[in-house]
Amino acid sequence: MSVARVRIGVDVGGTFTDFVLVDDHRKLIFLGKQLTTPRDPSEAIIAGIERIVREAAVEIGTLDGVVHGTTLVTNTVIERKGAKVGLVTTGGFRDVLEMGHEIRYDLYDLFLEKPKPLVPRHLRREVDERIDATGAVLRPLDKAGFRSAIDWLLEQKVEAIAVSFLHSYRNDVHEREALAILQAEYPGVPVTLGSAVAPEIREYERSNTATANAYVQPLMQRYLARLAEQLSGLGHRGTLSIMLSAGGLATIETASRFPVQLIESGPAAGAIAAALYAKLTGTDHLISFDMGGTTAKMCLIEDGAPEHSSEFEAGRVKRFRKGSGLPLKVPVIDLIEIGAGGGSTAWIDGMGLLKVGPESAGSEPGPVCYRRGGEDPAVTDADLLLGYLSPDFFLGGDMSLDLGAVRQAVDAKIARPLGMTVEQGAAGIHAIVNENMAAATRMYIAEKGRDPRRYTMIAFGGAGPVHAYGLAKLLKLRRLICPLGAGVMSALGFLVAAPAVDMVRSYVTRLDVADWSEVNGFFEDMRAAAVERLVEAGARVEELTFTRHAEMRHVGQGFEISVPLPDGALHGAALDEVRAQFFRKYEELFGRRIDGVGIEALTWRLHATAPQSDVTLSFAGQKGDTGGRIKGERQVYFPETGYAPCPVYNRYALRSGDAFRGPAVVEERESTTVIGPGSTVAVDEFLNLIIDINQPAGTMADPGADPGASHADAR
Amino acid sequence: MSQGSPDAPVFDPISLEILWSRLISIADESAAALLRTSFSTIVRESNDFATGLMDANGDSLAENTAGIPSFVGILPRTLKHFLARFPKESWKPGDCVITNDPWMATGHLPDFTLAAPIFHRGRLVGFSGSIAHSPDIGGAGWSSDCRELFEEGLRVLPVKFLREGKIDETVKEFITANVRVPDQVLGDLFAQVTASEVCARGVSEFLDDAGIDDLSALSAALQERADKAMRRAIEAVPDGVYRASLQADGFDEDETRIECAVTVRGSTLHVDYAGTSKQIARGLNSVLNYTYAYSVYPIKCALDPLTPRNEGSYRSVTVSAPEGSILNPRYPAPCSARQLTGHLLAGVIYKALAQAVPEKVSAESGSAPTLRSVYSGTDRQGQGFSQVFFASGGMGGTSLQDGHNCTAFPTNTGSGSIEAFESISPLIVWKKALRVDSGGTGEFRGGLGQDVEIEVTSPTPLRLSMLSDRQKYPPGGLLGGGPGAAVSITLQDGTRPHPKSRSILQPGDRLSLRFGGGGGFGDPANRRREAVIADVREGYVSAEAARTAYGLHDAEEG
Repeated sequence: MSVARVRIGVDVGGTFTDFVLVDDHRKLIFLGKQLTTPRDPSEAIIAGIERIVREAAVEIGTLDGVVHGTTLVTNTVIERKGAKVGLVTTGGFRDVLEMGHEIRYDLYDLFLEKPKPLVPRHLRREVDERIDATGAVLRPLDKAGFRSAIDWLLEQKVEAIAVSFLHSYRNDVHEREALAILQAEYPGVPVTLGSAVAPEIREYERSNTATANAYVQPLMQRYLARLAEQLSGLGHRGTLSIMLSAGGLATIETASRFPVQLIESGPAAGAIAAALYAKLTGTDHLISFDMGGTTAKMCLIEDGAPEHSSEFEAGRVKRFRKGSGLPLKVPVIDLIEIGAGGGSTAWIDGMGLLKVGPESAGSEPGPVCYRRGGEDPAVTDADLLLGYLSPDFFLGGDMSLDLGAVRQAVDAKIARPLGMTVEQGAAGIHAIVNENMAAATRMYIAEKGRDPRRYTMIAFGGAGPVHAYGLAKLLKLRRLICPLGAGVMSALGFLVAAPAVDMVRSYVTRLDVADWSEVNGFFEDMRAAAVERLVEAGARVEELTFTRHAEMRHVGQGFEISVPLPDGALHGAALDEVRAQFFRKYEELFGRRIDGVGIEALTWRLHATAPQSDVTLSFAGQKGDTGGRIKGERQVYFPETGYAPCPVYNRYALRSGDAFRGPAVVEERESTTVIGPGSTVAVDEFLNLIIDINQPAGTMADPGADPGASHADAR
Repeated sequence: MSQGSPDAPVFDPISLEILWSRLISIADESAAALLRTSFSTIVRESNDFATGLMDANGDSLAENTAGIPSFVGILPRTLKHFLARFPKESWKPGDCVITNDPWMATGHLPDFTLAAPIFHRGRLVGFSGSIAHSPDIGGAGWSSDCRELFEEGLRVLPVKFLREGKIDETVKEFITANVRVPDQVLGDLFAQVTASEVCARGVSEFLDDAGIDDLSALSAALQERADKAMRRAIEAVPDGVYRASLQADGFDEDETRIECAVTVRGSTLHVDYAGTSKQIARGLNSVLNYTYAYSVYPIKCALDPLTPRNEGSYRSVTVSAPEGSILNPRYPAPCSARQLTGHLLAGVIYKALAQAVPEKVSAESGSAPTLRSVYSGTDRQGQGFSQVFFASGGMGGTSLQDGHNCTAFPTNTGSGSIEAFESISPLIVWKKALRVDSGGTGEFRGGLGQDVEIEVTSPTPLRLSMLSDRQKYPPGGLLGGGPGAAVSITLQDGTRPHPKSRSILQPGDRLSLRFGGGGGFGDPANRRREAVIADVREGYVSAEAARTAYGLHDAEEG
């Protein structure tokens, strides 16, 4: 799909809405930023688009497309501001939504708060019907009972209906009957079926997903419709696409039907952009590290593609605590998010130890240095004290930072209580937030059975390049990539992404007794549905690619692993290959294989995608500085040297082919890259900083890894 | 450690924080490896496993974050038995010692405890350890009605399962010959070996990074911090002797009576169970290790929930129970279902502590002990199957909030999906619903239990093993709160299967399991009106119960 086009990517974040305009004809990229308008995000979007087309001298009517990602869905769930939903369930099971996994996510907290279900008990109604695990109907749907349930719910003024029956992933006949009644007799009521939004086994997750979809749907439909209308009012004649959580693009029709799939729309774009850089720089194993004001996100990019997951936990009631949210069955990019950002605040715990985060000062009141009333020292404050940030060049000088107030706060709240100097306190805050991120990254990689040392890291987000060097050192990485325009990477991801669809069916079977004609049948159905949706989104059938996976496990195990399936029809003869794939994947994850125990498959997935776009990375649209590369020198702290004089580079004056050694600080508008002593920096053709980190040789010993490979990468 | 200021002392509050969280994350990585590679449904559904890191003396340094109460503080105790049998000098890299002896380890045969040495630059610097519930251990399977330990399965005294990385074929053969699913049992033991390797690799790398030679100085510093935190928490409790007792159904005529005296003196706390029922010839006996774990755990929840655990956390807390009692039985007492007794301890300790610090404790839990039913037989395809049904009663109310509905305490077992359960067993679950009016009344109501109805759809009869209590004596309330609803287990004809024994279910039988509610906290008269009205609207409390227990009139319901 290398048709030359002019497109705009828009990323609505918590504080800023970022814009990227890519003009394939002129091979130019333009960047823009606008303060987010939380009450009506489309206000900032429209203003920003008007501005960027003006700056790029593009006629709005000639734009080919606008690609959009939003945190609206996530925020609606977190803030509990969605629609009043009625849920209809199988008789005896309306409390599935409330019981959840019946687990305490914090073992020691007697007073823990559990996430409330999105639908209160009195709005959950039961009807008589039952299908068993094989899909056989045990009791027909009581249609009269269903009608009276709906009548009652509408009397309660619900704005949307979710229907979720047991085993509907296996046989959706009763949910379809319910839908037919609703469409014929209650037109205009938005309806979500469990079997339509998440046809997967496990009733709690499926019901939750259906409910969440219904919960955000009215709001998202209104929002998307208005945005489309405003854009066409502006004269836009091109497409409007929305990024799904799995990194594919969808039309606004699809997005309006399944808005729950937008839940991780924003973070997905960052991972897609990182994947683009993996390809550009020829990096096979990449960790994408995106650190902003309140959180840090890490994602693995293998062979140029981010990994996917089929589950996401939304609306955690205890910050970042696994298990404290609502588990959704939604295709997402597999990434972790932790409470570590520039705004994360430092505090001293009951044992007199220094802690950082997960609480954040956010942008209001913000870190102490913002002078907006923040009193608790934050990570950004420590970074300022350590010389990483300049008090006079924050956001390119738009905001000046108050160093004196920071000193005072760190002294009073951290250094004096701990009996240390202000500098030691600041170094501690920086070190601890890095350690928190390193621990989370190690765990994330360990759960996949891999070794962090084989990875290169790419850093973006406002605080990413400030902390990447320290984090990469802790993870014993050899190489770090810092792209230009770290602050708008996510918006760029929107323009790389292609229309894509994920389809799924659950069918639980041992491989040796599987009914392959059934498997082939539903793969055919999924393929046809995927093609239809992608063609609707503007793709051509012959350019689509399809990949298939099944989630499998040994009989008796509790965790499934995602195993790639061979192309073509599946049958008994293909079984050996499927089995071999299972063992390969199993050994990769767990380091061993087990013979003599059967294998079963539960869930079958199809991923269909159009080819991604080639985005030119010529930043010629940004004015390069012609001044000197080094704009000054200041005292900067590194653990190896303490405070020492360090050159400050102007990012916009660096040219492809430039090279220098650390220690160095490289300043650009939205971020600052910190490079420790002994490391080398090279600027590549895309103006990326390629930083080779000097890791002490003694720490590289690892009996499990292939030393040849890791050393070859580094030299 | 290269972080922190270069001129700072080794274990300043910053390095200590960094080093400590690093050790916990090593234990967590080790736990992740174990969890993902294990077969045992009980490991995954109940989180019934733990990993830990001990120093060269065998003292615990770090435990995995999500470990379960049954295993709190047990790993180092078991390791000390290992060291008595295999002196420190005799451990070689690649050795793994295992046991499932209830007295040395976790109180019943299905749990395997494994420990392995960690060497760094040729020196023994510590031990990694793990505990996991095995898929099978032979004998009678999971049941509470055995009369002797020997019926309950294979017992393995401490033995080197691996010697320098090589499996001991004799040990392997013994295990293989005595369990129903040897591949899975051995597979799970290797999951524990993998967990140990992950831990050892992490520690070695950690020592390199930190630039220290061994763990001893760090261990002492961390234990001191944890010890201090717990002592400070105990000091906040007024000195005194607080007594409470609790009655449970026990086995037939052998009812269980727990007598508990909590003595707080300065920074120490002692729990004594003198006067508690004698051990019985059924599998309800809780060995002292298990009694200890389930005594220390609720105390930590109430007094010092935030500090990470290590040997120091438990130094100021001691537990005693008379030898020969149901809380400290003599070998070879049967003990397979020791949870039916051990889970009661949190309730009785809180009843005692409520006299001193009522704001820190909760009323009794509707799943203390848990209600388990195990189904085995032949499925519709003629294959053998065995499934445990996991679900929970309600939690007790506290001084701040109502008890959570259907949430286990003191154990932390989840519940599986009904769809998944039905897809691998010839059973249909017709109902899984909140049990109205089951929460004990109170200013803060007890959490609701649940009603479950299960039909047998296999072509041939099934075996049912019940492990339950609380039919006669429901979970109690605190400070004027009412008791939660009692457990009830009935068949369609009104007959009651034995609550702690094995019985036969016929095709078409329908079993009704009613899980207990949590006890209420405080006088129901003080419950906020809006809370009572909301309870009636949501159907947690019936209109009639709202009238009788809370004095709510119809007019108020709106």
